[in-house]
Amino acid sequence: MIEVNELTKRYGEVTAVNGLTFTVRPGCVTGFLGPNGAGKSTTMRMILGLNRPTSGSATVEGRPFARHRAGLRHAGALLDAGDVHGGRTAAAHLGALAAGNGLPRRRVGEVLRDVGLESAARRRVGGFSLGMRQRLGIAAALLGDPPVLLFDEPVNGLDPEGVRWVRGLFRRLAGEGRTVLVSSHLMSEMEHTADRLVVIGRGELIADESAAEFAARGTGAGVIVRTPDPAELAAVLTQAGAHVRQDDGDALTVTGLTAARVGELAYERRILLRELAPRAASLEQAFMELTARHADYRAMDGAGAP
Amino acid sequence: MTEPARFRGLLAAEWIKLWSLRSTRWLVGLGVLAIVAFAVQSSLNAHHSWPGFTAREKALFDPLSEAFSGLAATLLMIGAGTVGALTIVGEYATGLIRTTLAAVPARHRVVAAKLVVVGAVTLVTGALVSAATFGVSQAILSDLGVAVRPGDPGVLRVLAANALLAPVSALVGMGIGALVRHTAGAVVSVCGVLVIVPTFFRPTVHQWLNDLYALVPFYVWRTCLGLPQLRDDPALPTVTGSWAVFAAWPLAAAVLTLVVVHRRDV
Repeated sequence: MIEVNELTKRYGEVTAVNGLTFTVRPGCVTGFLGPNGAGKSTTMRMILGLNRPTSGSATVEGRPFARHRAGLRHAGALLDAGDVHGGRTAAAHLGALAAGNGLPRRRVGEVLRDVGLESAARRRVGGFSLGMRQRLGIAAALLGDPPVLLFDEPVNGLDPEGVRWVRGLFRRLAGEGRTVLVSSHLMSEMEHTADRLVVIGRGELIADESAAEFAARGTGAGVIVRTPDPAELAAVLTQAGAHVRQDDGDALTVTGLTAARVGELAYERRILLRELAPRAASLEQAFMELTARHADYRAMDGAGAP
Repeated sequence: MTEPARFRGLLAAEWIKLWSLRSTRWLVGLGVLAIVAFAVQSSLNAHHSWPGFTAREKALFDPLSEAFSGLAATLLMIGAGTVGALTIVGEYATGLIRTTLAAVPARHRVVAAKLVVVGAVTLVTGALVSAATFGVSQAILSDLGVAVRPGDPGVLRVLAANALLAPVSALVGMGIGALVRHTAGAVVSVCGVLVIVPTFFRPTVHQWLNDLYALVPFYVWRTCLGLPQLRDDPALPTVTGSWAVFAAWPLAAAVLTLVVVHRRDV
């Protein structure tokens, strides 16, 4: 469990993270989404005690992470695959981390096998591809068999097979009851991985909900209903808080209610339905819409370029 | 899962990190060899030239400086200072520090383990260099009747001071590394602070300047701790004051490293 409470980080005039509050629960994969520069990495570093918050707090398993002596046993993290010394071998890098946390030496071999790097154990990290470094970083995160895992943009540099592997790994880790937080600026990465989403923009919380709920926020999402009595159904659904659009003929597009709820309401009022089809909005679209108001990032980037 | 990480584990981690870098093995290996080779060459030279020395030259001859000259001290200090600096800079310049501190969030314990391992390794290396240079030099000069024993006045002090140059420099190097956090910048600073600047210090008629010089490790080694026989001159540092300097610099560097690493975001 990760709890973030009113977390704020300012660098001089710039506010990187502003009053962020959310909880990452065990047993599911939580996607941590936001455009580049939204404050995801800063937040993760503050959770791990690497950056000191200006105000607010973050706890891992109920305690500020810096209070844990053997960090790897409480949280494993891949922040940046480049955070290694290129002059060391993979085995030496992991061996030092294991020793510092009082972990048995055999764990090094085990995690290298888990990530498929056993044949590269004796090779210098400096010669690794980005994908291999990502795997090494994941191996380091798994070393202490921790209940909490944080991955910052873990898919970068992985080939399609590696991407599939890493998604399966996250699902497996969550299935084992661990807390898994995975950041990305690409919505599409989360579509098949995350159960829950924490979305931030400009350092502020935009959404903290299930992936399905989040997708339903996008205008692309909705339920297509066909009924011989569209006017009556539209009235019922509107009363229940939905937004209803009359399409051609007897079809309605309903947003703001799940297909199940539309079905229930129709059943209660004995309105015949001829078709009831949820139209899945992509997370992508919801993400784009919700972060659109933070689009001034792009404008600012453009203005800032020489 | 709740077993606390023992300090011994942190020492093991720093030990692995130190020796798993080729740069450490090369620096230590080549450095020791070079300094011992200097002792051999310098002693052989003296042995050759001995018959041509005047009586006064023979009387003033210091066999210990043949074993361990100012050049040897310079090499040892730069080598040890660089090893010390790289243990910190190697973490910051590569980003490894984030991985290290995420694994062991108690920063003061990480720094303490680094200080202990680097201090111990360079102390042993320094002692080895001091003993080896003394040994080979004495063996070469033994038939000239100028050989000294460790029990002779001042000899043990010189040998101890020679050995301690390494850990003193290494810990100062760590402090500089923590401040500079950039490989080239740290190595240049180590050379400058430890050796190059103090090389220009000479006793002067201004006592306040002499007092200032007497705060610098290389200077107090050159004008006091490294000499078996001391002149009683108020312009020169005292033995007690010199040992205090040898203690104060690494101590200050250790505190500086702890504070800087503790305070900075990584």
